[in-house]
Amino acid sequence: MTHAEHVNKPSRKKIVRMTIRHVVLALLAAFWLIPILWLLLNAFSVDKGPNLSHFFPQAFTLDHFRNILLPGGDSVNQFPRWFLNTLIVGCFNCVISSAFVLMVAYAMSCMRFRARKPMMNVAIILNLFPGFLSMIAVYFILKEFGLTNSLTGLVIVYSAGSGMGYLIAKGFFDTISKSLREAAWIEGANEFTVFWKIILPLAKPIIVYTVINAFLAPWMDFVMASLMLNSGVSSGKTVALGLFAMVDKVNRNNYFGEFCAGGVIVSIPISILFVIMQKFYVEGITGGSVKG
Amino acid sequence: MSMIQQTKARGRASGLSRAFSFIGEFFAGTAEAFRKGDLWTRLSALISGAGFFARGQIVRGVIKTLLEALVIYLIPAFMAPNLSRFGTLGTVVAQKTFDPVTRKNVWNNYDNSFLILLYSVMSLALIIVAVALWMKNMRAAYEVQRLKESGKHINSFRNDVSDLLNRRFHITLLSLPTLGVVLFIIIPLIVMILIAFTNYDHDHLPPNALFTWVGFNNFKSLFNMTAESSFGYSFAHVLGWTLTWAVLATFTCFILGILMAMFINNRNTLGKRFWRTCFMVTMAVPQFVSLLLVRNFFANQGIVNTICKNVGLTDWLYGIGAIPTANYIPFLTNPAWARPMIILINIWVGIPYQMLIATGILMNIPADLTEAARIDGANAWQSFWHITMPYILFVMGPSLVNSVVANINNFNVIYLLSHDVYVTQNQLMANANASEVDLLITWLFGLTQDRQNYKMASVIGILVFVVCAIITLFAFNRMIKGDKEESFQ
Repeated sequence: MTHAEHVNKPSRKKIVRMTIRHVVLALLAAFWLIPILWLLLNAFSVDKGPNLSHFFPQAFTLDHFRNILLPGGDSVNQFPRWFLNTLIVGCFNCVISSAFVLMVAYAMSCMRFRARKPMMNVAIILNLFPGFLSMIAVYFILKEFGLTNSLTGLVIVYSAGSGMGYLIAKGFFDTISKSLREAAWIEGANEFTVFWKIILPLAKPIIVYTVINAFLAPWMDFVMASLMLNSGVSSGKTVALGLFAMVDKVNRNNYFGEFCAGGVIVSIPISILFVIMQKFYVEGITGGSVKG
Repeated sequence: MSMIQQTKARGRASGLSRAFSFIGEFFAGTAEAFRKGDLWTRLSALISGAGFFARGQIVRGVIKTLLEALVIYLIPAFMAPNLSRFGTLGTVVAQKTFDPVTRKNVWNNYDNSFLILLYSVMSLALIIVAVALWMKNMRAAYEVQRLKESGKHINSFRNDVSDLLNRRFHITLLSLPTLGVVLFIIIPLIVMILIAFTNYDHDHLPPNALFTWVGFNNFKSLFNMTAESSFGYSFAHVLGWTLTWAVLATFTCFILGILMAMFINNRNTLGKRFWRTCFMVTMAVPQFVSLLLVRNFFANQGIVNTICKNVGLTDWLYGIGAIPTANYIPFLTNPAWARPMIILINIWVGIPYQMLIATGILMNIPADLTEAARIDGANAWQSFWHITMPYILFVMGPSLVNSVVANINNFNVIYLLSHDVYVTQNQLMANANASEVDLLITWLFGLTQDRQNYKMASVIGILVFVVCAIITLFAFNRMIKGDKEESFQ
C-alpha cells in the first residue's frame, strides 16, 4: 500500500486510534472543565454555602449576583468597593510600572554606558531574593508614614521596584534593528526623539503586554495586599483579599455562592485582557528567540 | 579543566579586575584632580560648586553647592543620632507617665530599634553616595578647568540639559526607576538581612520594646538538627519539600504541557480549536478564585468526598488502609494525600499556560528540520526526542530555570490551598509554625503574620536566596551556557 492510498482509505486500525485519541481528549477536557462548571453552578445556585450533597443544585437563582453587586451595608461583602479599589490601584500601577519598565528596557537595550552591565547583574541578584522579604521592611516604613491600609501604599508597593521587570521588554527592543536608530541620528534626531518617535511606535506588542501585565498585577496578587491591607475593614480591600475572606472558616457557609458569583464577574474582564496579553507574550518570546 | 571552563574563568577574572580597575581609576582621577587642579578646582573639595562658578557654569555650581549643603545639614539632623545608636539599636525603653498638669499620658523620648536600624542603613547608603558624588565632583571640576585652559567649549546649563535628552539620556531614563528600586527594594532588603542577626520577635516588638544584635544565634537555632530543636527539624523538612515541589511542579507542567500541545496539534486531531478552548477556559478564572474553589471542591465535607462516598470509593480506600477514617478522603488535610494533591492541582492550573507557550514554539520549529528527519527515516518518537525536545529546551531553557526559582517562591498555590485547611499533627513543626505542606516562603509569611517572629523569617529569607542562587548558578553553568546559541539559526 502506498502512502497516498493510506491517507485516502483509513484502515480500521486507524479509526480505532482516532477514536481513542478523541476519547482521551474528551476525558481530559472534562477533568479540566468540571471545577469551572462547579463554579458556575454554585454562582447560580439557591444554596448559600457550597452544595455538599448534590453536584447540580436543586434550583437556580440570580440572587448571588444581585447580592454581590448591591451589597448594602454588609460587613463581609463589599464587592463594588473592592472592584473600584483594585481598578484604581491597577490604573496607577499601569501608568507608573509601564513607564518604568519601558524606560529601563530602552536604556539597557539601546544605550551603552559604564554602569549598564553592573546594573543588570544587580537586578539578577535582587530577583533571587523572595520579593516578600523586602516587603516586610517596606510595610514598617510605610506604617511610619501612615500609608498602610491605603491605596497609595499599595500603588507604591506594586510600582516602586517595577523597573527590575525590564527583561522581556529589553528582549523585544534588542530585536529592533540598529540601522533604524542610526538613520535617525544621521537625520539629527537626539536619543529622546529616537526613543519616543521611532522605538516606541515599533514596540506596540510589548507595550500592550507590559501595560496589561501591570494593570492585572493587583487583580492577581494576594500576598502583598494581605500584608499591606491588614486592618480587616472590608471596604478597604482589593478583590482578591475580599473574596478570600468570603471563603474563610467563618463566612464560607454563608458567602460561598456570592464568592462564586464574584469570581465569575471578575473573570470576564480579566480573561479578555489576559487573552490579548498572552497573544502578545507568545509572539514576543517566540519571535525574539527565533531571531536570536 | 576544559576549554570552556578556562574561558569562563578568564571571563570572570576580567569582569572582577575590570570592576577593581574602575574603582582604582576613580580614586586616581580624584587624586589627579587634587594634584594638578588650580585654586578653584581644589576649593571644590570644600565648596563643591567653586570650580564651576570660576568657569562660568553658575547654575551647575549652585545645584552642586545646594546638594552639598543638604548633605552637611543631614549629618547632625539625621545621620549622627541614628548611627551613634547603631551598635546597640537603642537603650531607652518606652515608658508612659501620667502628666498631672495636662491630665494625659505622656510617652518618654524612647528609642525605636527598627527605625534606628532603618535610618542607619539609609545614612550609610547616603554617606557612600555622598562620597562617590564628591569624588566625581572633583573630577568634573578638573575636567572643566582643563577645557577652559585649552580654550574648548564649556557647556552652558542649556547644553547640560539637552545632553540629558541625548548623550546622557540613560541618566534621565534610569534615575526614577533606580531610586524606586533602591528605596523600596535594596534598602528594605539590607534591613531585613540585618534583622537576621537581631532578636526581633514577638517579645521584642518596637515601639514598646527594644531589640538588639545577637550575632549568629538565629542561624544556629535553624541549623541545630537535634530532635528537640523545632526550627532545625522544621527547616530540614520544609526545605526538602520546597525542593521536591519546585522540581516536580516545574517539570510536570513543562513536560505534560508540551505533550498536551503536541497531542492537540497532531494532524490526526479533529477540532483543534475546540479542544484548545476547553483548556483555555480554566485560564479565564483568576488563579486565586480557582484555587479557593478547588480547595472547597476537595474539602473533607466537600462535593468530591460526597460522590466518592456514594460510589463506595471511600470505603474501599479505608478497607485497604489508605485513609485513616471511613468518613472522608483527606484530600488536603493529610500529609500523604495533600502533597500529591497539591502537585496535581498545580498541574491543573499550570498546564493551560504551558500549552499556550508550547503551541507557539511548536509552530516555530523550522519545518525543514522535521521534514529532513522524516525523509531520513526517523519515526515520530525519534523526531520528538532529537528535534522537538532540543528545540523547545533551547527556546525555553532559561525560562525553565526561572520557573524552578519561581516555584520555590510559589506562594499562591500552597497558601491558598492549605491555609485554614491543613493543620499539622507534628508537634515539632507546629512549635515552629510550620507544616508538612509549607514551602520556605509560606513558612516565612506565617512566621511574620501569625508569630511576628521577624528574626527567623529573615533567616529563612536569606536561605531562600542562597538556594535560588545555587540553583541558578548551577543551571546556567551546566545546562544553558556553552555555544549552543547558533545551533538552530
